[in-house]
Amino acid sequence: MNVALFVTCLADHYFADSAADAVRLLRHLGCTVTFPDAQTCCGQPAYNAGRNPEAVRMARHTIEVFEGADAVIVPSGSCATMVKKFYPRLVGEATALADRTWELGEFIVHRLGVTALGDGLAGRRVAIHQGCHALRELRLESEPEVLLEGAGAEVVPWEADDECCGFGGLFSVKMSAVSAAMADRKLDTLPPVDWVVSGDGGCVLHLKGRSRARRLGIEFVHLATALWRGVAGDGGTTARKLAAPLAQPAAAPAARDR
Amino acid sequence: MSTARAGSRERILSRVARATAGRERTLHPGCLGTPVAADPVAEFVKRFTGQGGEVVEGEGTQSAAVWLTGFLRGLDKEVTGVAVGADVPAELRPQLPVVAAAHAGAGISVAWAAVAETGSLILPSTGTRAVQLLPPVHIVWVPEGRVFARLEEALRELPDELPATVGLHSAPSKSADIGQTVVTGVHGPGRCIAVLA
Amino acid sequence: MRTRINEYTARATQAIRSEPEVRESVTGATLAFDRKRRDAYTEVDADEWRRWAEAVKNHTLTHLDDYLTQAEERLEANGVQVHWAADAAEARDIVTTIADDGLVATAVKGKSMLTEEIDLNPALEAVGIEVLETDLGEYILQLLGEPPSHILGPAIHKSLQQVRDLFADRLGSAPDGDPDALAEAARHVLRDAFIHADMGITGGNFLVAETGTVALIENEGNIRLTTSLPRVHVALVGIEKLLPRMTDLAGFLQLTARAATGQPIGCFVSLIQGPATQPGDDGPEEVHVVLVDNGRTDVLAHPHAWEALRCLRCGACLNACPVYRQTGGHAYGYVYSGPIGSVLDPGLLGLHEAMPLPFASSLCGACFDACPVRIPIPELLLEWRREAQDQGLTPWKERAALAGLASVATRPGLYKLAGRIGARLGGTGAARALPMLGEWARERALPKPSRRTFRELWREGIE
Repeated sequence: MNVALFVTCLADHYFADSAADAVRLLRHLGCTVTFPDAQTCCGQPAYNAGRNPEAVRMARHTIEVFEGADAVIVPSGSCATMVKKFYPRLVGEATALADRTWELGEFIVHRLGVTALGDGLAGRRVAIHQGCHALRELRLESEPEVLLEGAGAEVVPWEADDECCGFGGLFSVKMSAVSAAMADRKLDTLPPVDWVVSGDGGCVLHLKGRSRARRLGIEFVHLATALWRGVAGDGGTTARKLAAPLAQPAAAPAARDR
Repeated sequence: MSTARAGSRERILSRVARATAGRERTLHPGCLGTPVAADPVAEFVKRFTGQGGEVVEGEGTQSAAVWLTGFLRGLDKEVTGVAVGADVPAELRPQLPVVAAAHAGAGISVAWAAVAETGSLILPSTGTRAVQLLPPVHIVWVPEGRVFARLEEALRELPDELPATVGLHSAPSKSADIGQTVVTGVHGPGRCIAVLA
Repeated sequence: MRTRINEYTARATQAIRSEPEVRESVTGATLAFDRKRRDAYTEVDADEWRRWAEAVKNHTLTHLDDYLTQAEERLEANGVQVHWAADAAEARDIVTTIADDGLVATAVKGKSMLTEEIDLNPALEAVGIEVLETDLGEYILQLLGEPPSHILGPAIHKSLQQVRDLFADRLGSAPDGDPDALAEAARHVLRDAFIHADMGITGGNFLVAETGTVALIENEGNIRLTTSLPRVHVALVGIEKLLPRMTDLAGFLQLTARAATGQPIGCFVSLIQGPATQPGDDGPEEVHVVLVDNGRTDVLAHPHAWEALRCLRCGACLNACPVYRQTGGHAYGYVYSGPIGSVLDPGLLGLHEAMPLPFASSLCGACFDACPVRIPIPELLLEWRREAQDQGLTPWKERAALAGLASVATRPGLYKLAGRIGARLGGTGAARALPMLGEWARERALPKPSRRTFRELWREGIE
């Protein structure tokens, strides 16, 4: 199957290795991945701020870039929501792209019908932070859990697992203290785990930034990387690449041992 | 009699009409179909007790007054004076001195009906409100065959000439306003006992 | 009511940093309410109930003038005196005049957000009437001189110890009293007030047009007492509170209770038709209904925000809201706080007056899932944000940054260049100088960009 990767601006610049893992994962699952080079930002920052004219311009650009792709895979629940749910509110011609666009985990479970990825995560205790757009707009409630368990991980219940982390894009800048308090609620209720896994880079930047500022030593891993590790195991190139941008100074022991 | 200050009534109504003028006028969806309990009496007991009410079953009206007298005397805090609603028939009045509601140990009422799905007693204001509200214990007779499965049926069956107020009592008085801890008997009765005939 | 909405960001920040006990009380209480709400929704076909309620309210709001006149007619036939108040001043004036005509010296009140909205208590006190709040939470706040912080649990931001100290000081109760003893102390004062009050004042959860019935939901019994013992009862009802039929109440009474507290129905419901005239009824001689607009017709006229008028004031969206949970209601600076406040206040008060509330949300959507009448709160927040942008009510730096983003994002070459520069500057601290990121960095470590962008990795080949 031919798929086009919409990497999203955050993953392009902050989770490049995880985006690469998404490519590896998709190829492993039999997809031919293309990367339309003219892609930029989905426009959600403008849309959420109420700047519709700018959001429309960015939406039109993205629609043009992905014209002709059979399926567009987005390693971000929030950006996938922008394309699938919010583009059609902004521009009439967006429906075709919306119908062909998938969040990464959603694509693997519902389009490819795959839930067993390997056992590379055996022995890992993980907690899932599912971004609010994935959870309440796309209604992707169980997909990451199914996939992580399908890769051998133990998914640990988290009291605040369906609560917003407080990122909200511009919100975390405008109402920084409230946003940080929301992150604290998430971090303070986190059970002991090796990783917090999330398919949303924005949430991770915010939670990780707060965790680092408080020196909590929590390790955050993007869903794409976690799933690729499930397939490829923890050794080799993946682990080396992970060590650079994502590892935390005080990673949980189970993660360090590997 | 209405007061309409400086034409406020007309102003509000015309603003409402203007505000909705261009809007699609949608239809009323009809009734909400809530589930019908197979055994309304059992459902009432479950709901009413689930909310903190108490139920006494099977006390027919035959010796009701005698039973009630004994029941009131047997309560933790023995009742010596009662307040009785104006619509309570003689055979349902306990053999105890009748006192003003504010000083009574218990209030005795007759419900118009009960509702299973919400565990509610329907009390018309002709049954004397002070009796329903002031004593610490409220005892309510529910006449036989007067348990509706659904609230909607009960409301539909209310008499055309409605009493000034209809009260639905579904539990003792409760509040969680102090430290989020539930306390009972804050303002109204701390115990509400439904007696099913 | 004078608002302090414009101070939201500063007051929220202040509350979080210096009043951790408020955050703790509010978080605990709202999470408990929200859990009960979820369980109560699961027990029934909540999706169908909510769609039904939405449809009934939409029908009512699109036929509102008809239902208002029908309700007026029925109320008058029942012997109720109907008053129309275009704004808060008129509403206050109507109530003080009723009190004056009825030689009222003392009044007891049931919890009503509308009376907070129109600042009724100070107006009554100004003409020499003693007013006592009888809802336990409202009573606590009245003693403290504070406004409510939650629609349903006005004092949820107060801990048991704070109430203990207050009652020990003001009511002479034991300094280590448990909640039962504290409630008993309040009951003692309030029971006396009920018996002696001349006037009872309440809001109204619903007003049924076909019967002229004011429906009131509560758990304490104070509203039943307020509407039963004094000789005059005044109910202040927002014009959006209409329902067409008596049988509609069956669904709405149950849905409101499930949404608010997870109960199947409120412990007490009063269905009030009018003054007591029948034998055996010891209720009020006079009943007045004041129909209040005070900005509601402005909301109704708004092409999108009118949907917020479906609101039942159940507080479910507050309980579900992770933003509200950090501060409670006071930071919002107005009686309607939390998600519903953030979409209703701009309509009631004007957008300028309600800034920055449309932005006080992460748009997480939990409020919509909780709302019993399916008010599309996240979409309405976005709508108000768009209007704020159109009216130039947002900071110019923000507007410039977003316009800049759009310019870059529609020019792929420029976008790539900017990305590479960002990657090189990342971690050097230069990012801290970017507009608005300074505040972000006060609470968080700044993110480190990947050493090479994905685009670069892709070009090199991913194995």
